[in-house]
Amino acid sequence: MPTYEVFLKNDGREEYRHAGALDAANDELATILARECYVRRAEGDRIWLVERTNIIEPDATYLAANADKPHRHHSGEAVAAHRRETRAASTSSPESNSDPC
Amino acid sequence: MLSESGGANLSPAAREYLLAFADDEHLMGQRHTEWIGVTPFLEEDLAFASIGQDELGHAADLYAVLVGDDDQAIDRLAFRRPPDEYRSCWLVEYETADWAEALVRHWLYDSAEAHRWDLLSGSTVAEVAALVPGAERDEAYHRRHADGLLDALLDVDESRRRIEYAITVLWPLALGQFDGTEAEAAAHDEGLVSALLADRLPIWREQTQRRFPSVSWSSMDDGGCITAQQHRTERHPDFDAVYDKMREVMKFDPDAVW
Repeated sequence: MPTYEVFLKNDGREEYRHAGALDAANDELATILARECYVRRAEGDRIWLVERTNIIEPDATYLAANADKPHRHHSGEAVAAHRRETRAASTSSPESNSDPC
Repeated sequence: MLSESGGANLSPAAREYLLAFADDEHLMGQRHTEWIGVTPFLEEDLAFASIGQDELGHAADLYAVLVGDDDQAIDRLAFRRPPDEYRSCWLVEYETADWAEALVRHWLYDSAEAHRWDLLSGSTVAEVAALVPGAERDEAYHRRHADGLLDALLDVDESRRRIEYAITVLWPLALGQFDGTEAEAAAHDEGLVSALLADRLPIWREQTQRRFPSVSWSSMDDGGCITAQQHRTERHPDFDAVYDKMREVMKFDPDAVW
């Protein structure tokens, strides 16, 4: 039986969130069964059902390349450290007053 | 038989008619819930349990029309009557042999139930007419569920054979759904219902034949169940066991409150 991923959201600005999965013979049965498996206590106002084989999932190594790019993190710590170093260097050489950052 | 007070102001004919529908809903709900934990797969388990719960809810609503909203009064009517005071039909009293029978009974029952709510939709008894929209919303789901499973399973040879066999077993019992209570005609004259159950039988028979086209309907035996039911005053041989089961806790502790 195909597996379907289930996403729920409430009306308003909330986004769809993954709620779980279910097995069903076809789209109609997935629609029928999802209601009582995932919304039987009105857990959501809207539902998305996605057959798992329709999900595009690239290889994990494809993503791994970006694990080593701390400069893309926007906590500002790396940039602040760099500015501190530059400032320290410019105070020790008074003829330079430009700030490269 | 029905001396409870607190419900709607009803004639004996109307009371018995509604009692029959309530008992059918009660027994059907009870029978469906017996599949909790043992349906063929988990997702179906949850859906089928919900459907059983809906039917029990409809039963409670109908009992409440008879005796009022008091839970104790509803329980008394639902559980503390002798078997000969029940007015359920044999289809819901019958103990199914397997999942094919349970599924086919689910379709046979809910397709007929649609007619029963429809007959009550313009009822002169306001308390009953008020129940129809909510029940019909539940029932639309029940029918979609049964049809969804049957659409998938009738395409598979082995499943189709099992379903066809289940039809031959259940057909005589299913006809008994359209067996009215003794005073049904009086209830109709009073405006409780817009037609007799028997008036809907030809329509429902055609719906059933369309739903299961591979069944050899010409050789199907109507089975004499309607006569044996005696306007729902006789109980099916399987009734005693389910009667004991649903009264088990109450018998163990008569004063239990929940």
